[in-house]
Amino acid sequence: MHELSIASAILDRAKAASDENGGARVTKVGLRIGEISGVDADALTFGIEALSKDTPMQGMVLEVELCRRKQRCAACAAEFEPVGFQASCPTCHGEQSECIAGKELDVMFFELEDPPCA
Amino acid sequence: MRVDVEEKVLSENDKLALGLRERYREHKVFCVNLISSPGSGKTALLERTLEALPKSAKVAVLTGDLQTENDARRLAKAGFPVKQITTGGTCHLDASMIIKALADWDLDAIDILFVENVGNLVCPTSYDLGEHAKIVVLSVTEGEDKPLKYPSIFAVSELCIVNKVDLLPYVPFDLAQAIANARQVHPGMEVVETSCTKVQGLDAWLAWIERRRKQAMQD
Repeated sequence: MHELSIASAILDRAKAASDENGGARVTKVGLRIGEISGVDADALTFGIEALSKDTPMQGMVLEVELCRRKQRCAACAAEFEPVGFQASCPTCHGEQSECIAGKELDVMFFELEDPPCA
Repeated sequence: MRVDVEEKVLSENDKLALGLRERYREHKVFCVNLISSPGSGKTALLERTLEALPKSAKVAVLTGDLQTENDARRLAKAGFPVKQITTGGTCHLDASMIIKALADWDLDAIDILFVENVGNLVCPTSYDLGEHAKIVVLSVTEGEDKPLKYPSIFAVSELCIVNKVDLLPYVPFDLAQAIANARQVHPGMEVVETSCTKVQGLDAWLAWIERRRKQAMQD
């Protein structure tokens, strides 16, 4: 359940965005999660719900963009998405390839309510 | 109102890991991060490794667990510096724990730093500890399909150590299939077979460390 510490890192960043905007409620977070990032989106949602009670992030919705793993073949430089973790090159059947996508765990954006009138 | 952020969630950890990586480079420390399920034999592998090294070797170990100092006690017998990191409940080591543990050690006195992560095949995948290489340990008392069930850690690890191979005659573990599964997830993955009770395969493992360390020192 390392999703709880990841949820906590996301909420820290969301709280900073809220503070920068007069304590506005954060209604949505946009996340990019790679296929081999080791993070489960459902567990992350649960962690954010559990940790955001009574904060400006309570009820924050997660918009998740899942990123497929992508490899680049060392022999022919073809880029491909391994199917079912079959990671040899579909073009030249080369066995050596480098991971160029799929490890992402990024915050893309937050959506906030307009700040309360001063 | 939309606020664009575009940053890594674990950017704090990544920054700390980058700092560690720079310190390792500066002090010429080669660091590996050993990851496996609980009970795969990471501690036993390190015990045999430390015993096999000359007393003059500049080696140190950080070992992570949720509770107890048991592993550090086992590993300290070889006479090298060892420190236990107890995480409380956390299921992985993160870069801040490594920085804290290294605070009173002189990095110039260390050539090789072994980090034994908390027994877990999932969470340590996400945490960069500034290491030169992640190493995944798989034992033959587990299923040969483990690389397919937990592909992420096999995809990001440079080396797979198949441990407890002395038990192969007694367990229904298909070694060739296990290696094929690891290489399906990670083409060309290096594999070393070891036994820590019959002391087998250690030469290949020590040779890997030496070769990879030389390469790291040139980078």
